[in-house]
Amino acid sequence: MDEMIICRCEEIPLKTIRKTVQEGACTIREVKLQTRAGMGICQGRTCRPLVEKLLPSEKEQAAVYQISGYRLPVRPLLLQDFFKE
Amino acid sequence: MQNDLIIIGAGPAGLSAAIQAASYGAKVTVVDETPYPGGKLLGQLYEEPKKGMWIGGEIAKKLYSQAVDLGVTFLFEREVWSIFPTWKVSLNNHQDLRAPNVLLATGAAERPIPIPGWTIPGVMAVGAAQVLCNLQRVRPGKRVLIVGVDILSLTIARELQWAGVDVVGMVLPPPSPFSGQKADPRFHLAALSNMSHLAPSPILRMAGNLAKAVPVNQAARFYPRKGVKIWDIPLMLRKAAIEIQGRDEVERVILADVTVEGEILNHQTQSIEVDCVCISGGLYPLAELAALAGCPFVNLPELGGQIPLHSAQLETLLPGLYVAGNITGIEGAKVAMAQGELAALSIIGRLQNNLEKMAPLIEEAMQKVKRVREEASISFHPEIVLGRRKMQALWEETLTSQSAQ
Repeated sequence: MDEMIICRCEEIPLKTIRKTVQEGACTIREVKLQTRAGMGICQGRTCRPLVEKLLPSEKEQAAVYQISGYRLPVRPLLLQDFFKE
Repeated sequence: MQNDLIIIGAGPAGLSAAIQAASYGAKVTVVDETPYPGGKLLGQLYEEPKKGMWIGGEIAKKLYSQAVDLGVTFLFEREVWSIFPTWKVSLNNHQDLRAPNVLLATGAAERPIPIPGWTIPGVMAVGAAQVLCNLQRVRPGKRVLIVGVDILSLTIARELQWAGVDVVGMVLPPPSPFSGQKADPRFHLAALSNMSHLAPSPILRMAGNLAKAVPVNQAARFYPRKGVKIWDIPLMLRKAAIEIQGRDEVERVILADVTVEGEILNHQTQSIEVDCVCISGGLYPLAELAALAGCPFVNLPELGGQIPLHSAQLETLLPGLYVAGNITGIEGAKVAMAQGELAALSIIGRLQNNLEKMAPLIEEAMQKVKRVREEASISFHPEIVLGRRKMQALWEETLTSQSAQ
């Protein structure tokens, strides 16, 4: 189970994500910066719900909150699409 | 051309909203990342008790031609990479669309359940198998095992069988942080008892009724190890797929017996030869654009996860940003269509600056959503009504605390 891939795009196994969480990563963003999980072509559409399950549960999450960890562009984009002439 | 409304997603919610809004004279543009209108309608094919076949592809065609007749503009194969208040919608071909109103009808994505070997070619999400089979007309495999038992995977098992695929069985995923209840036989028997009115096999109906009559623990213990056949497909609620194996593609799956609670019995395993595995982990609302826009969220498992806070009229807290369909909670296409109509009426009320005039129509559309929900023969989350009520309460609380500030 430990060797099982969690982020398919970047080929990050379960053990790497678990280790990062044990070392103190508490958010999707922290796990991403440490391991690259969620930085591949699908931008976390597959692994984000999985990584969320591995994070320590927040003790006092407000009922209504701002969701973090999403960045534009939310789809893979050619640079030429990004910069207009 | 100046748009009044941009709709993101041409599925059941988006198409219905486009028709409704355009029928009031609104200038509407619909954007979709796929080449065809219809979204998830396109794969849907199932028999409804007393109503006959639901052929999603035909519904999609009808809705699309209605929308086109009303002058709705469609942009296909265009990905929205961000939205900016109030409102610019950025597409992947240099194009920016502008409108005072945006409707997010982006639907849902599949929640994966990883199991060892799930990245081997030939393993796919059950929804991918549905698209391959019903839309692309390609069989995902010759011998398919389905991992994960729910209303979606049951429906798709039937569709694969109609397409000539040998569905060798349906089993549970192994227990893990990712599978949760889906690895628990007791949870499935309880779920089956809620669907026993449409169970296609008398034995399954019996299993469902049994689960109603005796504690679920005992029903799970009673459930035969080799499974109960449903359309000739063994539904094995006492077995889990613990590993998928194969060198370059799927060759076999290792199954293990599980206890009533779903724990693996390692000494009781068997190998089953297949060339394709479909994993069903359920759906979650696809709401990344709402997150980018700065929309507040709530977490309601009854509705499928993290959802943008919205009112019963389907407005969000951001002026001009609306939601409809599975982004508001995982339900069937008919509910999504009724929600699309409702969101469009809310938007028309805002556009014409006359919510009062629209109020009776909006009220009627809200009642229709409720009615369609009640009449739905299947629901993805049995507690959907509770989830909707919680959403409504959180919306009202938030408005009250905002006006107090």
